[in-house]
Parts: sequence; C-alpha cells; structure tokens
Amino acid sequence: MKKFIAITLGILTAIGGFVDIGDLVANAETGARFKLSLAWVVLVGVLGIIVYAEMAGRVAAMSKRPVFDLVRERLGPGFGFANLAASFFINFLTLTAEIAGVAIAISLVSSVNYLLLLPVTGFLVWLVIWRMPFEWMERIFGLMGLALLVFAVTVWKIGPDWNHIFHQALHPAVPSKETPFTYAYFGIALFGAAMTPYEVFFFSSGGVEEKWTKSDLNLNRANVFVGFPLGAFLSLAIMLGATLVLAPRHISVDSLSQVALPTAFEVGKVGLAVLILGIFAATFGAALETAMSAGYIVAQFFGWTWGKFTKARHAARFHLVVLMSIVAGVLFGLSGVDPIKVTEYSIVLSAAALPLTYFPILVIANDRDYMGDEVNGPIVNGLATIYLIIILLIAVATIPLMIITKAGA
Amino acid sequence: MTAGRVLYAGLRLLDRQMLDRDGVPCGNVDDLELTPGADGDALYVTAIHAGPGALLYRMGRRRLGAWLQWAHDRLAPEGEEISTIPFQHVRDLGGSHVTLGLGRKDLATFSQERWVRDHIIGPIPGSQHEAE
Repeated sequence: MKKFIAITLGILTAIGGFVDIGDLVANAETGARFKLSLAWVVLVGVLGIIVYAEMAGRVAAMSKRPVFDLVRERLGPGFGFANLAASFFINFLTLTAEIAGVAIAISLVSSVNYLLLLPVTGFLVWLVIWRMPFEWMERIFGLMGLALLVFAVTVWKIGPDWNHIFHQALHPAVPSKETPFTYAYFGIALFGAAMTPYEVFFFSSGGVEEKWTKSDLNLNRANVFVGFPLGAFLSLAIMLGATLVLAPRHISVDSLSQVALPTAFEVGKVGLAVLILGIFAATFGAALETAMSAGYIVAQFFGWTWGKFTKARHAARFHLVVLMSIVAGVLFGLSGVDPIKVTEYSIVLSAAALPLTYFPILVIANDRDYMGDEVNGPIVNGLATIYLIIILLIAVATIPLMIITKAGA
Repeated sequence: MTAGRVLYAGLRLLDRQMLDRDGVPCGNVDDLELTPGADGDALYVTAIHAGPGALLYRMGRRRLGAWLQWAHDRLAPEGEEISTIPFQHVRDLGGSHVTLGLGRKDLATFSQERWVRDHIIGPIPGSQHEAE
C-alpha cells in the first residue's frame, strides 16, 4: 500500500496531463471525427513523455534541480527568458481552461451557470495550494481521478468487435470528410496534449519537493511507467467510446457534456455520476498542476525560494505568482472566452514551444557533473534524439497548420 | 588562471542557483565581475552580481540595469543587501549549486522577497504554517 501511495505523484501528473479538460475534449472530438485513425499518435506521445519525464525525474533526483532551473542555465538568459514567457503564457491558457473545466463539472450536477462558479473554483484551487500538504494533494486528486476508468467500463459495456478495432487502429487513413491538413492538425493536438511541458515542470519540481535522491530512482521509474501509460489508456478509452457511440450518430464534440455522452448512454446514471467525479478530480488536479507550475517556472528562472514544503511566507514571491495567475485565470474565464477553444489553442501552441523545454533536459541528463553514473544510456539517448527531431518538426509545422486549417475547423 | 578556466566559469558559474549559508535558494548568479590580475593578461572572477538590474545589465539593457542597481543600492542601508558579492564569500562550488557564506537577508536578491512577504503574502492567514 505504501508503495502504491508513493506513485501518486506520477498518477496525478499523468491524469492532470493526459485527461485534463484539453484531452477530454481533444480525444472525444478526434474519436468522433477521425474514429481510431489517430490512435497511434497517443501511443507515440506517451512513449515520448515517458522518456522525457523519466529523464527529468532522474535529473531532479541526482542534481536536486528542477527543469526550469536548467532551462536558464543551459539556454542562457535570452532564450531561457523567451521560453519562460512562452511557457508561462501557454500554461496560463491551460490554467484558465482547467478552472473553467472544474466549474463546468460542478455546474453539471448543480445546474448553476459555470461562470458564477468560476470565482469559487479559483478560490478552492488557491486554498488547496495554500493549505493542503503536497502528499495529500497527490493522493486525493490522483486517486479520485481514477474514477475516469469508467470510460473503460463504457467501452467494455459496448462490447465492441476487437478484431475490427485493432484493424482500424493499425491501418490509419484520413477519413473521407477530412483533409490531410486537419488530420495533421489533430495529430499535433494529441501529441502536444500528451507531451505538455507543464507535466515535466510539475513532475520534476514535485520530485525536488519530495527530496528525491539516488535511492528514489526506482520510485521515479515506477511513477513514470505506471502514471503515463494509465493516462494514455484513459485517453484511448475516451477516443474509443466516442468512435463507437458518437461517430455513428454524427455527433460532434464542442462541449464537455458531450464527452460524457457515451458513458451516459451505456452505463447510465451511476456511470455518469462517477464520470463527473472523475472529470472534477482530473481538471482540479490539472488546475493545481498548472497554477503551481506558473510559480515553479518563474521562481526557478530567477532563483527564488519556491515550493510547498516551506512556510508560505518564506516563499513569498512564489506564492504571489501562483495567486496572481489564479486570479488572472478566473478573470479571463469570466470574460466569456470559450474554455474549449482556449484549451485547444493551449495544447497546439504548447507543441510549438516543446523544443525549448526538452532540449536542456536531454543535455543535462548526459552531463556527468550533475548526474554521476546515472547519465543516459544509448537507448534512452537514441529515443530522446528521435523525439527531439519529431518535436522540432512539429514546432515548425504547428503555426502554418493552424492557419491553413483555421484551427481544425 | 588559464583561458580554459574562464570558460569553465561561464559554463559552471553563470546562471547557477545560489544557496545561502542555510542552504536556502537566494537568487541566481546573474553576472560575474572579472578583474585583470597583477600580470595584466589574465582575468580573475572577483565578484558575483545578483539582484535587481544585474541580469538586465548582462542581457544588454545596460542603462536600465545600471539604474536599477544604483537605485537599489541607494535605498538599501549602508553595507546591507549587497548586489555585488565578493568572491571570497563563495563557500562551495560543488554539486549543482553555488553555496555562499552569507545569509539570504544580506543580499539584494532578498529585497523584493521581503516586500512581498511583508505586504502581501505574510498578512494572509496561514502563511506561518507549513503546508507540508
């Protein structure tokens, strides 16, 4: 049990990263529009995040240094600051979307307009960061997020023809109603959602906060190898549910309630209740992750004291950034922006900003001065280099594709 | 000092996390002060610059950076909150940090932290407790 509790950092990171509001919508939308022809992207994405999150966790354990600290040191203050500005902006978009997602989840059961719930939600997110111990945060929201396994129950209830499904997933083709450009655009969105940088910001900072050392390297691996595949499994279950239920009925996904349709159809009221609980936990967890990441990356860039394991007044600037980000996110949400659009933009834009975050991790993970004997082996380096090339190509292609497809319309 | 060790300082010193004598993060190495030695052709690292304006100065915003540093030094009491840390206060360069022999409150990097602590974060109920 103790071992299980110890991997809740990975579970929270992955659930917050893989099935937050952006992925809930992106996966369901992809399933409804492209069926399973983009399922392979989720698998490519999960391997990428496993490779880099493991590296970031190992770097945190060996050097006691979280990712953004290394970003400035290896990229220099100029590129480092550019990365900080881009990452902070994208992270802020995600935070806004997650706070809205929590409010929407509450509004689904309370029938109160979600806009009215935004300030309360923002306050709750802040209160949890302000007062709840880090470990409890991981446990409560990580484990409650497992309620999303009801997506898998949904698929199991439908009882699909698995031979047909594997055949579909293994022979991807652009559906007749879509263009290669929209196909590529949604592929990038799924990949960006899998590899969102705030996952490694949060995961590596969490490792430093929990004072990981060399003896925790197995714990790091367990976190990564359990958490992220679980996240990918849930993503695929959502996509499959949408493929089986929404696509045949020509239902397109443009709100969170449509994501819940397959479960409501197939599992009924109890399933829906469990699902809403899961959505609440996952979006709340992601809101915590992104709000804290805002503080983490700014504090680490400037070398301030940061983190939850110290008295708040001893990390005053860190808490100020967290607080201001939440307030700004609530205000931005209240302005009436469509949270689904905000989250779609944030995952696609994060694909464009990925190289500046992942490159320094790879460099440091090969530096014996930091890592001692725990530098990357040839297999990890090979994989990481391939992913870095993929990330670079995607970063170049993202903005043009966004313009050509009018953001996937 | 040879040219090779100057490079080493650029890679292993600049932009590093500084820890104070209690092991608490207290800013980054924003810039380095190099002074020619007695023989005239070698440069020695004689001080670390950290605090308001130091990074801006290094990034090419010379006037704004110098003005911020000057303004900070004028406001700080004599000899306190230093933004130029003489290199003899560096206790350890091992590991992945620069460890100083000074307390964080003696450094210019602490002035904004102090202000935010006293005026915004400190007054919020619960700021005295560890969330841990």
